[in-house]
Amino acid sequence: MSERFAAATGRKMVSRASAEELGKLAHIVVDVDQRKVVCLTTGKRRKALLVDWESVSGFGPDAVIVSDESALHEARDDRERAALDGKLDLLGKRALSEMGDDLGPVTDVVFDPTSGAVETLVLGEHEEPATALLGAGSFAAIIRVEPRQ
Amino acid sequence: MRSLVTGSSIRGLPVVTIAGGEDVAEVRDLIYSPEAGRVVGLTLNKRGFLGGRRREVLPAETIHAIGRDAVMVDDESSLLHPADAPEEVGAPPSGRDVTGDEVLTDGGTSLGKVRDVVVLVGSNGEVVGYEIETASGGTGYIPLPVQLAVSGSTLVVPEATKGFVEDDLVGLGAAVDEFRSTVGI
Repeated sequence: MSERFAAATGRKMVSRASAEELGKLAHIVVDVDQRKVVCLTTGKRRKALLVDWESVSGFGPDAVIVSDESALHEARDDRERAALDGKLDLLGKRALSEMGDDLGPVTDVVFDPTSGAVETLVLGEHEEPATALLGAGSFAAIIRVEPRQ
Repeated sequence: MRSLVTGSSIRGLPVVTIAGGEDVAEVRDLIYSPEAGRVVGLTLNKRGFLGGRRREVLPAETIHAIGRDAVMVDDESSLLHPADAPEEVGAPPSGRDVTGDEVLTDGGTSLGKVRDVVVLVGSNGEVVGYEIETASGGTGYIPLPVQLAVSGSTLVVPEATKGFVEDDLVGLGAAVDEFRSTVGI
């Protein structure tokens, strides 16, 4: 079963070791080269923390299970700080074709909750396979298109 | 059918990296070569410092595509300091502004004065026509042949251009290919 970013955001994150709720899922961070979820964030501003995908033992319909509380960590570099601020979010990001045309925002991202692999980008009424994602940054997600004639 | 934009709508567009998804500059102006019939580069608003030197030109050959909403480059290395760019981009000769030039057909008819260049969307600066102010004060769009004669103040275009003065960019987009086959290019 695939999961969707829009539906998963806000889901509770629970420690497998203590069964304590650790917070709500805030941002889902994708590595564009791997086209895969690499970490999740929870909390806001100073209390915001990251969890690496390797520490997620179960991504289910009702909760995201994290190995234990020690898996939560602070930002270790600029990229992770940007992730905590939501600047790397694919969800809601402006999509631009590689030919420089605005395709509207990314309205959802479909991924495999077991592997973390991103499967599909949803752009409103339109869908693009993850393989069409060429790059993503704070400004836009870049989508491959067939060159116009 | 070709999708076209005027030079004025390219000014102000963000320059975006494909690999990084970042806006690394903003288009200030087009560097147009009337002899080449194309945009040879773009000047950029100040952004992207490297070693304290402003990288404020973008040669057309490193542009992936000029789109309606952004100018796409592979990565930031496309942005150059003028001293590092080809001369026609880094230090273009003056007096190449075609705005205000009279457009004459080779049959001797004046079609109007140049207002702006018209660029093919998705290209890296191919100019396919001009926006002109017609003698009556209206706006017209004419297709260009690949080669044309230019002096400081006048452009000479084939007589056949007379039949291809379009009212809008959509009309010009539809007419470009027919015009080119008419004038044999």
